[in-house]
Amino acid sequence: MAFVEIRELSKSYWLHGKRIDVLRGLSLDIERGELLSLVGASGAGKSTFLHVLGTLDAPVAGTMRVDGEDVFALDDADLARFRNRTVGFVFQSHYLLPEFTALENVAMPALVQRVDRSLAMRRARTLLERVGLGARVDHRPGELSGGEAQRVALARALVLEPPLLLADEPTGNLDPVTGEGIHQVLREVNRDLGVTAVVVTHNEALARSMPRRLRLTGGKVEPA
Amino acid sequence: MDEPLALSVAAPAPARVRLVLRVLGVALVLAGAALAGVELGRIGAWPAVLSRLALGAFGWGPLLGAVQGLVEARRAAVPSPALWLLAPAGAAWLVGWALVSLGSARPSGPVPVLTEPAAGSVSAPLAGWEDFHLGTLGAYCVGILGAELVLVLVQTALASASRGVGWGPPAAFGAALCAGAAVAFLGGFVGAARSHKLSAPEATIAVLYLGVPLPALLTALPAAPGLEAVLGPRLREVIYLANLLGRPELGYWLVFSILVLALTLGILTGFVANASGRLDVRAGFELFVARRHVHVFRPRLLVGALVVLLLGIVPPLIVLGILRAAEAAVERTRIRELGRRDPLAAAKALHDAQERSQSPTAMMTALSVGGVGVGVMALIVVLSVMSGFEVDLQKKILGTNAHVVVLKYGDQKLGMPEYPEVMKKVGSVPGVVGMTPFLLNQVMVSSENNVDGAVIKGVDPATAGQVTDLPKNVLPGGDIRWLSHPEDIPVRTRYKLEKPPEDEVIRAPKDARAGPPLPGILLGRELAASLRVLVGDPVTVVSPLGGEIGPSGPMPKSKAFRVAGIFYTGMYEYDSKFVYVGLPAAESFFGIPGATGVELKVRDVDDARRIASTVLAALDGYPYRTKDWGEMNRNLFSALRLEKLVMGIILSIIVVVAAGLIVATVTMLVLEKRKEISVLKALGVPQGGIVKIFLAEGLQIGVAGGLLGLFSGLAWCLFIEKVGLRLDPEVYYIPSLPVKIEPLQTALAVLIAVLVTYLASVYPALRASRVEPVEGLKAE
Repeated sequence: MAFVEIRELSKSYWLHGKRIDVLRGLSLDIERGELLSLVGASGAGKSTFLHVLGTLDAPVAGTMRVDGEDVFALDDADLARFRNRTVGFVFQSHYLLPEFTALENVAMPALVQRVDRSLAMRRARTLLERVGLGARVDHRPGELSGGEAQRVALARALVLEPPLLLADEPTGNLDPVTGEGIHQVLREVNRDLGVTAVVVTHNEALARSMPRRLRLTGGKVEPA
Repeated sequence: MDEPLALSVAAPAPARVRLVLRVLGVALVLAGAALAGVELGRIGAWPAVLSRLALGAFGWGPLLGAVQGLVEARRAAVPSPALWLLAPAGAAWLVGWALVSLGSARPSGPVPVLTEPAAGSVSAPLAGWEDFHLGTLGAYCVGILGAELVLVLVQTALASASRGVGWGPPAAFGAALCAGAAVAFLGGFVGAARSHKLSAPEATIAVLYLGVPLPALLTALPAAPGLEAVLGPRLREVIYLANLLGRPELGYWLVFSILVLALTLGILTGFVANASGRLDVRAGFELFVARRHVHVFRPRLLVGALVVLLLGIVPPLIVLGILRAAEAAVERTRIRELGRRDPLAAAKALHDAQERSQSPTAMMTALSVGGVGVGVMALIVVLSVMSGFEVDLQKKILGTNAHVVVLKYGDQKLGMPEYPEVMKKVGSVPGVVGMTPFLLNQVMVSSENNVDGAVIKGVDPATAGQVTDLPKNVLPGGDIRWLSHPEDIPVRTRYKLEKPPEDEVIRAPKDARAGPPLPGILLGRELAASLRVLVGDPVTVVSPLGGEIGPSGPMPKSKAFRVAGIFYTGMYEYDSKFVYVGLPAAESFFGIPGATGVELKVRDVDDARRIASTVLAALDGYPYRTKDWGEMNRNLFSALRLEKLVMGIILSIIVVVAAGLIVATVTMLVLEKRKEISVLKALGVPQGGIVKIFLAEGLQIGVAGGLLGLFSGLAWCLFIEKVGLRLDPEVYYIPSLPVKIEPLQTALAVLIAVLVTYLASVYPALRASRVEPVEGLKAE
């Protein structure tokens, strides 16, 4: 049994009375510890797919089993717990909480889980040092550069060591050098911790460097 | 990144430490016990203490027994030794047990990050002693003891507040019981939800050690007069109501079992709610987020709002405007200066300056805090002033009237000739501190110049001072003692006061010239003014009834008195309506033997009702009856309470408006934080967590506003009290605005305001929880 089993997933929007089918019966198996890239034209539904994968959005049809559990059958509280424990998100924009320092932002998922405050902060500090931001722990997101903020966001996604990491064009807003640093961390996390990572990207070079490559077209995925 | 990311999670308190704690605790307990033993042996109290220890199987029994034994032994020991070893012994004993419990408790330390049990899994409901949860014990103890105290306090407060208002003590008891049951339920709920189990041992300890003593005390109270004298006034309403039942102890234990039932229900509900994972009573994370969002407890905001509340809105705003302008000018100069040297730093400084300018939501937050503050302040000030009026009125009424009167059913004309026996019986009732007989009737008083109706009261000048302030209220120039010694009253001539001179005979009535002197009479200031008489002047008292029956019905009867003094109570009604004569004079005038009744003064005015019922019981009821002062002045106080209630409701509208402000503020916050809500949801915050965050934000505004209102309200009250607002005494009969800060009423005003603001944030918080996670993430 695969780690993630997606069967006949469909997702549609209604826009100005017109139905837009984004995903049309998408099926996909992801094995534990895989590192896969997802490419596709703009508007092909990559972000939507990733949101559904992370249970931020519900499909209109189809099932998804993670570790054998039918996640869309869960209620809100269990779904929240699933997002907290199983999924780590990195978005195109960093989406850090502006009122909190980098350290607090990274510790946030642990705090949500009600891990002891000092323990969570210690953990967050270690992670920030790993991504090279040991000197920036007390800065607010507004005081960080784009690359730094994205690295903080990555640390936040990893703080609870989730088995599944979802990255939506994590380097889309960054210059190539900074972006390469992020990619490096992604690969290391996959290699060292066995984190299953799905990376949506426009960056062909990055996509090619991934062990498994997928392309989203016509509402379905096919090997790229 | 060569090392794995996994961090070693701090291990729970190591077993070694816990063992040390346990051993240390046991050692301390033993040391404490040994110390106590030595001390007991030194004073030879062992046999007594041991015999008492055998008493009582559980609860406080052994402890009480030991204390009693100790006291007895100490009394027996001659000379009484100093018990200087017992305090450290007790302390060591307590600390030792605390250490043992710390050492034995199963560590609840940090939960390993990734292996936290799912919410559904719960430890065994009836856990072993190692699972003893001190926090849960605390919650249960607070639940049951708090419920009892809340019940007593609320009932006492409501019953005295409802004095004279239609819904009486039973309604007060109903409300108090609801409040008490709610507290018990909450205690049980929180305790069970925190420990994830039913925790029977904790519940048993809480109920036995902290729940049982109060009803037990109440049951034992009638048997212990010493205790009753101390606790009776505090528990007066409870005792009064229970006595209505006939079997008070049944009532106490019934109520107690209702509270225990509520606690049990709370425990079960909390356990079920928590076990099903639908509920999480922990809110540390939510508060952490909410504090950053609203950030209400900033010194600047609080001080600013306080200044506005104290000084009005315009002057502080002008000062603030000037300060802001000056600050901005200095900042601009600084940045311009910086720009010459370092344009980049200048740009950053400019950016920072813009950052610092407040967002509209922050402005709204400040306004909401101010709004709640204004409402609470107005409530506190107005209610305190009205309480001040009430207290002033009460003081004046009680200065003239007795706290309790004992009357007799049946014909007034028969009077109460046996009043000395009545007084003897009543005097033994605890709480009664003064008694005087009195005789009451309606008369007309006429002087040479005027006629007025009055209530005449025959009093015993010797004992009247025990019950009322009459002797103190007599203005200089008069004397209440002259009622029994009319020969001392100076007879007033047209020009001066002196003993009746021989040659001044024209104005003095016939009786003054020869025969016995006229009996004395005391008039109120207003009545004296309307009759235009002074001390020494004669007046005629006319009773429409009381004379013989003439051809056309009862003949009026009249008698001349001499003004022995003029009194001033400060109550227009009393000063214009009351006249006092000596009891014998009244008896002979009206032909009533003895007195109308006996007036009593009690130690605690608020306790009058309970003591009245005790007095009645001491007199074996019929044909006697008692009335307390609240009953006698029901109309006045009920009007006053109604006025206060209406004022309170009107002022609460301000709080409601402030609540509207809070709805708007929190809604704006929700709109502003859409993106953050989405992110939080992506990080795994459930809907309940989002609700809690925004509820906490509303609550913070409410608490900040309530506290500000409390402080400014108290400051205003103090200002009014110390500096005083002058009133025209001719109109209001008091020289300045009275203020009485009632703690309960003030606390209630703040509490209600906080509650209203809390409820106001429910709707926006629910809306916030329904923000879809993708909603905020897309809007880029």
